[in-house]
Amino acid sequence: MNLSLTDPFVLAQDYPESTTGSLRSGHATCVRFNRKGDFLAAGRVDGTVVIFDVETNGVARKLKGHTRQVQSLSWSRDGRYLLTASQDWKCNIWDLDGGRIVRSVRFEAPVYIAELHPWNHLMFVVSLFEDQPLLVDASGPKVIKSNLPSAPKRNKYDEDEPISDKQAAQDAKQTTTVAVFTASGEHILSGTNKGWLNIIEVSTRTTIYSTKICTGVVIFLRLTGSGRDVVVNAQDRIIRTIQLPNLSAADLDPDTIDIEIEHKFQDVVNKLSWNHVAFSSTGEYVTASTYNNHDIYIWERNHGSLVKILEGPKEEHGIVEWHPHRPLIAACGLESGRIHIWSIMPSQRWSALAPDFVEVEENVEYIEHEDEFDIHPQEEIHKRRLDLEDEEVDVLTVEPVKGEIVDEEGISAFRMPVQLDLIDSESEEEFVAVGRGEMRRKSPSGQGVDYGLGEDGVGGSDVEGKKKVKSRRR
Amino acid sequence: MSDFDSAASTPVPSVHRPPKRRRVYDDSEASTPRYSSPDELGDHKPHRSSKLKTRQDLGSRRRSHSSDGSVDELDHTYHGRNRSRSSSIDSHRSSHSSPDAPSPPVYKPLKLNYKQKFILKGHRKGVAQVRFSPDGRWIASCSADSTIKIWDAETGKHMRTLEGHLAGVSTIAWSPDSNTIASGSDDKTIRLWHRATGKPYPAPLLGHHNYVYSLAFSPKGNMLVSGSYDEAVFLWDLRARRLMRSLPAHSDPVGGVDFIRDGTLVCSCSTDGLTRVWDTATGQCLRTLVHEDNAPVTTVRFSPNGRYILAFTLDSCIRLWDYVSGTCKKTYQGHVNNKYSLGGAFGVGGTEGFIVSGSEDGDLVFWDVKTKDMVQKVSGHEGVVLWVDTSPSVSGKVVSGGLDGTVRIWVDVNEDVNGVKAEPVDADATEDEPMEEARAEIGEERNTPREASVVRELGRNQELEPSPEPMDED
Repeated sequence: MNLSLTDPFVLAQDYPESTTGSLRSGHATCVRFNRKGDFLAAGRVDGTVVIFDVETNGVARKLKGHTRQVQSLSWSRDGRYLLTASQDWKCNIWDLDGGRIVRSVRFEAPVYIAELHPWNHLMFVVSLFEDQPLLVDASGPKVIKSNLPSAPKRNKYDEDEPISDKQAAQDAKQTTTVAVFTASGEHILSGTNKGWLNIIEVSTRTTIYSTKICTGVVIFLRLTGSGRDVVVNAQDRIIRTIQLPNLSAADLDPDTIDIEIEHKFQDVVNKLSWNHVAFSSTGEYVTASTYNNHDIYIWERNHGSLVKILEGPKEEHGIVEWHPHRPLIAACGLESGRIHIWSIMPSQRWSALAPDFVEVEENVEYIEHEDEFDIHPQEEIHKRRLDLEDEEVDVLTVEPVKGEIVDEEGISAFRMPVQLDLIDSESEEEFVAVGRGEMRRKSPSGQGVDYGLGEDGVGGSDVEGKKKVKSRRR
Repeated sequence: MSDFDSAASTPVPSVHRPPKRRRVYDDSEASTPRYSSPDELGDHKPHRSSKLKTRQDLGSRRRSHSSDGSVDELDHTYHGRNRSRSSSIDSHRSSHSSPDAPSPPVYKPLKLNYKQKFILKGHRKGVAQVRFSPDGRWIASCSADSTIKIWDAETGKHMRTLEGHLAGVSTIAWSPDSNTIASGSDDKTIRLWHRATGKPYPAPLLGHHNYVYSLAFSPKGNMLVSGSYDEAVFLWDLRARRLMRSLPAHSDPVGGVDFIRDGTLVCSCSTDGLTRVWDTATGQCLRTLVHEDNAPVTTVRFSPNGRYILAFTLDSCIRLWDYVSGTCKKTYQGHVNNKYSLGGAFGVGGTEGFIVSGSEDGDLVFWDVKTKDMVQKVSGHEGVVLWVDTSPSVSGKVVSGGLDGTVRIWVDVNEDVNGVKAEPVDADATEDEPMEEARAEIGEERNTPREASVVRELGRNQELEPSPEPMDED
């Protein structure tokens, strides 16, 4: 509800400008925002998943269950469940209400990426290393894993005659590197190591459409919030955006699907390749982290031009994510494991501090009002003032606020419980509180640092007050 | 020091009057044009007994603390010049209210008939705040006797006493899940307590340099905002018990703070007469509200829908501000508030909203939000009613706490007409049970804690009141 008070120039700015902070808890390798944008999940090298509260920049929850580096994260629509895939060949579905594992599924190969079904938090698709992708349905007591095809669908006229040996051999070598659900959840988009994009129907688990979009490996696919656009990161150093046809249309004929590449983003000068790509909240912008380089690139999709190169901490970034409705980008530093944040820091308008002052562009000759210095009796003024208060006020009706996410029907608003006793479970943090808002790097000796609050014995009996606090200064 | 001086030359709070009743009916008082009667009517005798006439005498009682009839003349002249922060700015209007006096307000959809149901005794000093838990099941009260008590809202049964603060507790707040209570004390600490066990969380929030005076939880329960006598407003990350942000708020003690419904804004107010609205995310001031008279603001509350801010000022006014436009929409008058920082709440009667506040003359005053009419005025407390809160549940209960150390629960008998018959106020009968409980409690806690330094008395001079009133029993 702060939008009505915020400077419109700030609101008009829809991509971040500069680094505004960083988050740290261990060495994070991947991050993902939930749909509401109030939490950021981060997977660490040690297999722990940390949920950061975006409002406080503090740790809201820690999920311990994986033993190896976390590979990918996927939130359920309501933000209650989180699917994590790890290098320990397992995927876990967590219930954030209690922080427990709801389902744990083991695979025969390392998992590249696992994506939750948009409407069913117990169904997901995984792309495995050198193996067929799987559709996993964990709704029942027994987890059902079904194979999905990797081989592209050949054109119709090919089907009449047997596929040539050469082609068959090629198809056999196709493996899926990335698979995601479409917005409706009825189809899966998958990318293969030969540069093919497949559309797979979930109900029949058959490929209904294939197209070769690039020459190299398809590294990553990501849909916009609306599900109408896809961004493709490929080995050939080109980022492509694609507009998806409406796959849920009743009269959809797979043969008429025509997928065209909308934009190709690349750095022709430096020939950079891209570690990771993401859409902005509305899909208007595409951002990417660069390989062997420190910068984060932002392109806009309208004209397909580069609008910003974000500079920041001098390290290469892995996964980059855009906040679901704010101009805020989070990226994982590969070396430090820190999560760096870029956003907009508006400057304080001083006129907000003194209501009788206004900020003017240039000097204005002040013209005094006719009655400006008239003296009215106090009671007169007061009465007039009270009489003016004839406007209707409504203090009860809650109006939908622009920019606020209204939960759809059927999804009860999930609110993650606030854990106030996290403090004690923390030991590996590098910063400790030393009084009011002061943090200091934990000395190597760790314990025994005296940071009493002062002489006056405030809360003197509370030795616990000296406990380590596990957050860091921003 | 004579009355004379104090009334005229110093800001209100310093008035050196005994806080207790010195009822003076001077005839220059009728101030609220809509519903005040000709003063002649009002000033002959107190109309306490008759509900019908409460409106008439309210105007005349207004200023009783700050001035005598005898200085009234002088008052006029002084206030002409020295109007800032004067409490009785509205007291000079003697004539123009008479015409509309005989005709009662035409439109009056809101009918309230609150009756006292329980008197909860147990606090040994004034009760600074009382708050319903968000689920409506509990009432928490905090007192200058440095304890917090939890009561069952339904039965009035005393559930628990929370002890640990080293000085008087000025403020409490419930977490949104009703499981945690935060309390702010004159010992400069903020503590968090388990509601169920009555145990404090180990680490208190340390950082304020002076009395903690006001607290509010964010709607998600992840943040706490605190206002203090040290003129600062702090935002805390509750999970880490870390000071997240310090708002350079005011140049005088901060009287009240509140969070908006969606948590994006925080408001704070101070005895410097300013109410400021802050962006939670950036910590920047977005708006400052100030009334011409610059009266000290002691309590602020966002309206239930977040569109307005209700500000309680020491000129016996409660103002409803539209913070977006920065204008005062309504002024509610009829209670006495010159000295203590009283608090009130929004409530719903039928479909209409009302505002309820305590008053320094021992009454609870109810206003129709839209018409500004005083719809009910009910007495009960012996001495100042410091805080009133409304139940979030459908019961429509109201709870009040006062300088007399009692907590009182009120029910709207109107609504019970066709349902359960609420017993009319019979103090002896109703208070019996809870009293027994509370007495037992007192037995245990014989050792007296330190004197509380401030009991919701917000003055620019931090002069201590002579202990207001002996409690009626104990």
